[in-house]
Amino acid sequence: MNRLWKEFSKGLWNELPPFKVVLGLCPVLAVTKTADNGFGMGLAVIFVLTLSNMLVSSVRKVIPAKVRIACFIVIAASLVVCVELLMQAFAYPLYQQLGIFVPLIVVNCIILGRAEAFASKNPITYAIADGLGMGIGFAMSLTVLGAIREIFGYGTLFGVQILGSWFKPFTFMVEAPGAFVCLGLGLAGMNALTNWQRRLKGLDAIEGPKHDCASCGMCNIK
Amino acid sequence: MKPIEPLLTVSAPPHAHCGHTIKQHMRDQLIALLPAAAAAMTVFGFDAVRVMALSCSVAVASEAACWKLRKCDPQVDDMHALIIGLLFAFLLPPSAPWWLVIVGGSASVVAGKMFFGGLGGYPLCPPLVGWAICRISWGAAMDTNATMLNSTLPAPLHELKNIGVPWLQNVDMSSLLLGQQLGGLGAVQILPILAGGLYLLARRTIRPTIPLAFLAGVYLTALIFRFVDPHAHAPALFHLLAGSVVLGAFFLATEGSTSPMGLISSIIYGLLGGAMVIIIRVYGIYPDGVPFAILLVNLFTPLFDRIRPKPFGGSRLGEPYVGGC
Repeated sequence: MNRLWKEFSKGLWNELPPFKVVLGLCPVLAVTKTADNGFGMGLAVIFVLTLSNMLVSSVRKVIPAKVRIACFIVIAASLVVCVELLMQAFAYPLYQQLGIFVPLIVVNCIILGRAEAFASKNPITYAIADGLGMGIGFAMSLTVLGAIREIFGYGTLFGVQILGSWFKPFTFMVEAPGAFVCLGLGLAGMNALTNWQRRLKGLDAIEGPKHDCASCGMCNIK
Repeated sequence: MKPIEPLLTVSAPPHAHCGHTIKQHMRDQLIALLPAAAAAMTVFGFDAVRVMALSCSVAVASEAACWKLRKCDPQVDDMHALIIGLLFAFLLPPSAPWWLVIVGGSASVVAGKMFFGGLGGYPLCPPLVGWAICRISWGAAMDTNATMLNSTLPAPLHELKNIGVPWLQNVDMSSLLLGQQLGGLGAVQILPILAGGLYLLARRTIRPTIPLAFLAGVYLTALIFRFVDPHAHAPALFHLLAGSVVLGAFFLATEGSTSPMGLISSIIYGLLGGAMVIIIRVYGIYPDGVPFAILLVNLFTPLFDRIRPKPFGGSRLGEPYVGGC
């Protein structure tokens, strides 16, 4: 039980998908214009990730190592088609909003990453816990990012007006460059928080990359 | 026991330099910008003063706040933030609302400069970053034509976009040169900007390659379009004098860390930037293509910097010298 909880909870904070493990950035950047969209996308990913982890883990001993990636993709693709059809049937407006990014869940790094790094090496129960935790972490991050961008970009949250009429919508935030800036600020905030926690525990802060020769190359004349 | 005094001073190179300082460089830039600021004041009156003063003070204050946040001594006395603020104000319409100036001025410094570590680290010209953020967010408030309806001056680039070439029959090139047009409040003061640019060239604060190549790029590309279809495209001289081409050539494209260093690379950089201006003006939705054109070529700078001079004894491409003897 203890290990099950550990596998589940690591996706919620310690290995939070887009912010700690910088994976699956395509939907993070593209669909987080509003909190609604982020949440919907998150739910789709939870569904696909949990089931794909379960399936991959259950067939892990049957798949030959050489063709494993192709098998993982087929499993993920089948599940994504399920999600797509379900969305068309029950949440058509959301499907129209997310558009191409629902089929693109197939090539989301998190799905393949968890299948390869975790599900293909661990028993089913742990794989499900891992997929569920990672999926929930991903959905949380997407919703928070979407909420921030929606508040600044439209002055609304989940479609409800929360800033008054004095507010001039900061459209930059809901355009593509705003997504990159928001994600960057999110990563910076996350790193600052981690370092602050480490300092409270008396550990050394993790230093970021330095401006050194590797980032320049101007003197690379031999 | 008394601590041992170091016998030799240890410091980082360079150990000898020509005496130029960042402060001098910035002071020259500021002096070069002053005539245009004064001209903007006489043409647009108190509105222009309000925008320039607010933008400069916000830029300096936000840079100081960033340095405080990094727990460093504020290095705002090098006047770079002041110049960013002034250049950003030059691109705004004189009627810009106060919140727009505050958000844009601080975004120029914070997102354009301090995110990348301060002076010398940024890849994009800071005032243009602020301008682009504001232009994307509040297009209506940044529109130099629509916000200045009570002015009698024409907005040549908007008229060109909306009406087309026939409108140009009643426009006088010399009045454009004298700043009788609507645009960014300082950017349209062509003659004072030109004087400031020549001052910078005379003081050797900037090298002539980039401004000349930029102006040549604008002129030649416009000439090509004019040659292909004289009824659909404006004359080349009009493109040089309308909007913020001159400001871009002398002050924005030459920004130190965002422009390439070598001779050949800076010529290509300027030509490409100039060509991009005309391409955006002809095909794009933005009447004045200069800011976006310069942002685009700024992104090419690391690529152009790979064109290196031939090192002594080596080859141009950086391969080690393998000549035999």
